[in-house]
Amino acid sequence: MGHLIRYGSRLAVLAAALGLWQGLSAAGVIRSDEFPSMTATIAALGHQAASSVLWSAVGQTLAGWGIGLLIGAGAAIVIGTLIGRSAFAYRSAIGVIEFFKTIPVIAILPIALVLWGATLTMKYALVAFAVFWPLSIQVCYGVRSLDPVVRDTATVLGVRGMRKFGVVILPSAAPFIATGLRVAAAVALIVDMVAELIGGGSGVGGNILLAENAGPPAYPIMYAYIVVAGVLGVLLAGVFGVAERYLLHWHDSQRVSSDFYPERPAVTLLASLSPARPARPAGRAGADPGVAVRRPRGDLVGVVGG
Amino acid sequence: MWLFAALAAIWWVWSAGSRSVYFPPLKSILRVLWRQWVTGPARTELASSLEHLLAGYLLAAVIGIGAGALLWSLRHVREATSPYLYFLYVLPAPVLVPAAMTLFGIGFTMKVVIIAFAAVWPALLNTLDGMRGVDLVKLDTSRVLGLSRTRHVLQVVLPAAMPQIVAGLRNSLQVSIILMVVSEWVASTGGIGDYMRNAQESFDYLGLWSGIIVIAVIGTLANLLFVVLENRVLHWHYGARIVEGAR
Repeated sequence: MGHLIRYGSRLAVLAAALGLWQGLSAAGVIRSDEFPSMTATIAALGHQAASSVLWSAVGQTLAGWGIGLLIGAGAAIVIGTLIGRSAFAYRSAIGVIEFFKTIPVIAILPIALVLWGATLTMKYALVAFAVFWPLSIQVCYGVRSLDPVVRDTATVLGVRGMRKFGVVILPSAAPFIATGLRVAAAVALIVDMVAELIGGGSGVGGNILLAENAGPPAYPIMYAYIVVAGVLGVLLAGVFGVAERYLLHWHDSQRVSSDFYPERPAVTLLASLSPARPARPAGRAGADPGVAVRRPRGDLVGVVGG
Repeated sequence: MWLFAALAAIWWVWSAGSRSVYFPPLKSILRVLWRQWVTGPARTELASSLEHLLAGYLLAAVIGIGAGALLWSLRHVREATSPYLYFLYVLPAPVLVPAAMTLFGIGFTMKVVIIAFAAVWPALLNTLDGMRGVDLVKLDTSRVLGLSRTRHVLQVVLPAAMPQIVAGLRNSLQVSIILMVVSEWVASTGGIGDYMRNAQESFDYLGLWSGIIVIAVIGTLANLLFVVLENRVLHWHYGARIVEGAR
């Protein structure tokens, strides 16, 4: 019954919001040349979805997001590991990485535009840049968090080189990398959209700007694409949440609870976005100040008395 | 820090003899930076950007913490609206800039509204989540001691949720800076974003580079300032964590 009431109330909220929207437009409170009616927006969404316009825009946005993320994450994992393995490299580089991480990616957008113009390459470069810094920090912390017992065992067993990377270091750093990737995926989508809005790259964000420039008759299309952007955000965040659960099912942080609140991944993600300190997966919080990551519901690690 | 100095030095030396229009010498960039942003006309752009940023961010922080606390106390409203709050949170906010322009024009209001709207979700969701996660023992203690509702919220729940609220506020700050530049760039009525758009359109690469440095400095300084404030506000929390670690 509890579930029924919860989902019922959620549907009721949605229906009420859509009804209010439509009512306000019909009554003339919202002027249609400023904000389109709900039915017009849904119709525009349907129309766009039926043609190939919407799907090619989604494809281009996803391409920028995915390939940029792949390049940035690949570089971050390799370089983060190298830096994390050496105490000297870590101490030298960490300040520089922290500095670059605080630079809003929007600052380097003009350079990318000058170099590549409004192309896909520009989007890849920006997304990769935005993803690289926060993720490489996460990888560093992950690599450095290697359990000394595991490290010594590997040494005794003579595990070296690539094998050590694949069998010892990567699995040990995996929860950190997963948290970092989840954050990076959200950042990548935002940067992707900015690249389209300002850089004029094509995709969902580009179509929103086109519709806005086309004037009031196209506003339903603009809002249809805004809805699409939101749905993309939900889907991509969901995919990463599920993948993390599935791939890291063996790790402590995934074992604590099975209840799933829609806001849960978002907020863990938020806590881990704090730039000056490493995000730690729940269940691993040790004597590391400043990060209030905790296990779901009531079981508080991080605030007083973990 | 040696690597930092080394990178700056490499940039300086490598770009010194640069004839490329796109990558001018660092020396010239810094000269333009001084003439434009410190002593020259771009100061007003910088000031108006900071106004947008401050107004939008503070609005987001106040509304985010207030609404988050309100939602925390209204369980049914929270459960009914959580998917939609999540939707608004993951919606990449820059796409709302064109829509905000049709509703609020291209002036000060639009920029403040769009910055506040984008930055409110991290603050709100973290406040809500932080308050929901307060240690049950603390809640019970507060009840046993018979604290009034106001004291319960202000002296037990809020401090316990503070670390996560601060994490949310920090994320809000980063979102605010992005939206500041994007909204100014798209609306082109003043601000750093507008300056850079003009520089780009008139192929003024020195101006463009100086704007890049200005944004980077703003991002870094805002972050530093935040860390300083955070250390003051959360001083007791770090103290407790150190004691915990020593045990």
